[in-house]
Amino acid sequence: MSSLGAVASGAIAPLRAIWLLTALRMLRVGNMLSAGYHRRRALGRGRAAPLRQATSGKRRNRWIFSSIVGIFMLAIYGNIARQSFINLHGVLDHVGRVRHAAPTGALSEAMLRGLSMEFSLLLFVAFLGALASRELSQPDWDLEWLATLPIRTPLLLWSRIIERSVATPIGLLTMLPTNTMLAWICGYRWSAVLVGVGASLPLLMLAAVARTLIDTGLRMSLSAAKLRNLQAALSIVSVIMLYVVASLGIMSPMAFLLDWARNFPGWASWLAPGLVVRAINAQQLSTQLLYAAALLAQVGVILCAGIGILTYQLRNGVVVSSSRETGRRPVAAHAVTPTTALRGLKRIVSVVQRRELRLLMRDRTFMVQTLVLPVVIVGSQIFFQGRIFNGSLAGASNSAVATLAFVIASYTLMMSAFQTLNAEGGSLWLLYTVPRSLESVLLEKARLWAVLTLIYPLAVFGIAVALKQRLDVEMIGLAAIVLLGVPIYTLIAVSLGIYGCDPLAQEAGAKLRPTFMYLYLMLAGLYTYAIYASLWSQRLVLIVLSGLLGLALWQKARDELPYLLDPAASPQSRVSTSDGIIAAMIFFVVQGVIAAIVIQTEQRLSGPALIVAYSMGGATAFGLLRYIYWRSKTQGVPRVWGTEVPKSLGVGAAAGIAAGALGVLYLFVLQRLGLQQELLRDGSPSILGDIWIPLLAVAAAPIFEEFIFRGLIFGGLRRSMGALPAILASAAVFAIVHPPVSVIPVFGLGVCAAIAYERSKILIAPMLAHALYNAAVLAYQSLT
Amino acid sequence: MIEFSGLSKTYGSFRALAPLNLSVPRGEMFGFLGPNGAGKTTTIRMMMGILVPSGGEVRIAGFDCHREGPDVKRRVGYLPDSPIFYDYLRGREIIQFIGEMHGLSGAESHARTGQLMAEFGLEEVSEEYAVNYSMGMKKKLGLACALIHRPSVLILDEPTNGLDPRASRDVQQRLRRSADEGMTIFLSTHILDMAERLCSRIGIIHHGELVATGSPQALKEEVTAGGTLEEVFLAVTEESSSA
Repeated sequence: MSSLGAVASGAIAPLRAIWLLTALRMLRVGNMLSAGYHRRRALGRGRAAPLRQATSGKRRNRWIFSSIVGIFMLAIYGNIARQSFINLHGVLDHVGRVRHAAPTGALSEAMLRGLSMEFSLLLFVAFLGALASRELSQPDWDLEWLATLPIRTPLLLWSRIIERSVATPIGLLTMLPTNTMLAWICGYRWSAVLVGVGASLPLLMLAAVARTLIDTGLRMSLSAAKLRNLQAALSIVSVIMLYVVASLGIMSPMAFLLDWARNFPGWASWLAPGLVVRAINAQQLSTQLLYAAALLAQVGVILCAGIGILTYQLRNGVVVSSSRETGRRPVAAHAVTPTTALRGLKRIVSVVQRRELRLLMRDRTFMVQTLVLPVVIVGSQIFFQGRIFNGSLAGASNSAVATLAFVIASYTLMMSAFQTLNAEGGSLWLLYTVPRSLESVLLEKARLWAVLTLIYPLAVFGIAVALKQRLDVEMIGLAAIVLLGVPIYTLIAVSLGIYGCDPLAQEAGAKLRPTFMYLYLMLAGLYTYAIYASLWSQRLVLIVLSGLLGLALWQKARDELPYLLDPAASPQSRVSTSDGIIAAMIFFVVQGVIAAIVIQTEQRLSGPALIVAYSMGGATAFGLLRYIYWRSKTQGVPRVWGTEVPKSLGVGAAAGIAAGALGVLYLFVLQRLGLQQELLRDGSPSILGDIWIPLLAVAAAPIFEEFIFRGLIFGGLRRSMGALPAILASAAVFAIVHPPVSVIPVFGLGVCAAIAYERSKILIAPMLAHALYNAAVLAYQSLT
Repeated sequence: MIEFSGLSKTYGSFRALAPLNLSVPRGEMFGFLGPNGAGKTTTIRMMMGILVPSGGEVRIAGFDCHREGPDVKRRVGYLPDSPIFYDYLRGREIIQFIGEMHGLSGAESHARTGQLMAEFGLEEVSEEYAVNYSMGMKKKLGLACALIHRPSVLILDEPTNGLDPRASRDVQQRLRRSADEGMTIFLSTHILDMAERLCSRIGIIHHGELVATGSPQALKEEVTAGGTLEEVFLAVTEESSSA
């Protein structure tokens, strides 16, 4: 008897099929997440699989930063949720605008209805945000492949819906913090997170089934081109809806939203979102179980109905229309199309830039995301939050106009320059075949985006000036700050986009790490301080630091370029200028925060408090960097001690004497000219004080500042340039972050300390120089 | 023309390519054979600067492939095993773009593009987006991109993989013509009869190690006393795995 044709007995059990398919999907999601962190997977016998490492392996410390940003984002959404509850409580329960009065205990019926409205909106946002993803416009290869297995279609669909319930970021971000915060307010404490997760799941499943129904139906009926256009339009609508919901969490939500909450129909609050609210709020277990049962029943019915409809949709197969899009278009003879017009720009734009413009004109999703979405995002923020303007642009302050201009530019760069490398996609290999460095190609693309982005701030300033019918010096100055910021942040966006891009990732969502997008937005937010700073010296500091940060980040990104398509290798971790810039920022922010807290509580900043603030800021920056360097096995970490300590101490002493002499001479000249007191009025703290100041100046400052400014910044710059430019640049950065009155002598100290470090290669030399300088200056001041 | 000096690639304890020493003189068509996962594509990707070598170097026309990339690429045309192209660009636009990136003027690039599209039979689909091309058309498009700047060296990774017999024959004929014109060709394949037909010399790589080099005829006589190239391949790869 032939074995051919003998088949396995019996079909697979439905539950097992769902389990296997779902487990496969979850395994895939888990692999995607862990691929970024390259954890070892233990084989069956307890042996670890060999890591594929060429040099230092892919970066292993990015999870620290991703975790910080992830927690930060959850905290923000949680705070928005909390504020929304406070706002609804104030209006619906008539308690007025009491700032921190969150509802407690059992919620009123009005509050339950209001929250049902909010949760319904969140459900809609979760559905719409997921539907508007790029998946909509791409062929459904996944379903096409799984449909070839001997499993009935409904089982495939169940696994798809379960996966989409738990693996959709927008859904998790909208539902999880809000449900958790509601649970907290209703009296749950450490179990609030579990309750939040449990409450979010049914809603996420509803969003998943709705999304699957709609996108399956759309794929069945629309061509690829129409799907792309629809996806572009949906992306705009989903952003607007997100802002609508988020605006409930601002101090003064829009009146129409509160009206919706007030007038939300009673019956609607018994649908799934309302049942979630009621179940969390229920004070007795029996009531809670009743609401939970009703919720599960509702969700179950909807899911079953959804699966039924989906099965019917797919009754004729999973592929109906072709996903091919033709480039053919009936073009009349001698007609000028947008792309033929590009030929006329040959002398102005390069080959790479022409290609970029061509792609921009043809890919509507790309065009909408790059050129339209930034305006929608910022417009939504203004409309729904109304923070920037109290009225029209004509009535806005110059700072508000400048902020608007820079924010639109920042978002545009996030959608364009940040995507410079990611946009190449699977075609990146083509750029490896041409006799151009990848660096030069990416910079050309960045230049194009910088020029295109400038249009937005120029338009904003132009409109503001036209409406105000005046152009003053302040406006010109602020415009200069914004326009300078565009090329700087183009470089920062490109650099972070390179650093955050994984061209080898298969999933579109895994190609670009959102962590670096959030970092870019945070840095762009810092730059707006340059618009609002009261002193031009502070503005200059921020502009210079931002520019240096851009160059430093580009240095780091450039190191990554040769390893982009290598699956396991990355450049050996080395100390770079950006580490120093970030350390300096951490140092001054932590010190400033502690000082501000002390001033708020004690009304003054005493010597001991200042030394504590300074020490903690320095220790934080120092400790964090040392920890990261240790984990990454970074090369070139600055050393304090070495082999030739006596010689280094001699070099340091000589440098300190030279710098100290310069500092004393500077003070002498100031005194003779009678300028010292006048300059001190320019917001600079006096260096005269009690015994703690010398301790700070001679002990703490040299240790921490020399690690940052000579060890990291000078050391990092030295990798890319010669000794003299690195000395001057690092000394300039060192000088501008000090009070204006001391810029000149501090610059001198920076030069001397850098020379000492260049000669000795260990930090003890510049530390000694720094200590001697401070001692000389303090001694002179105390004597005169 | 192509000089491998101890070129190697490792991933931790896993050795993808053992130190490779090999010379491919000017005008030779060299076939780089090996089973799947032997290290062929790894070698080629290091030649194109896509992967960073763990040790050694490879030079093309005297230029280091890792450190002097642009100089190498001026002289090299490359076709990967699975070429992917941009979503919204037509075939002719992609070829023209590559031509201009290689320094050809707009007019020259346009003319060469038309010539290559005609040569490869892609005229009918020149207005279609490349992403819609069949596998054969994509390979031809990739080959056109590799040839537009008239390189002196061609590096091809499985050039006939996935092609139907007619398309495969077209590609092979084109390669033969290029070799006759003096081009140095380094191609990887696991299709033995194609390697035997086209290549003046072949190298067989197995588990990252070059286990045999020579002309097809010489290898057949040495290894299998007049057997087929397939028998040679099986013999050298089997012996290596059991050693």
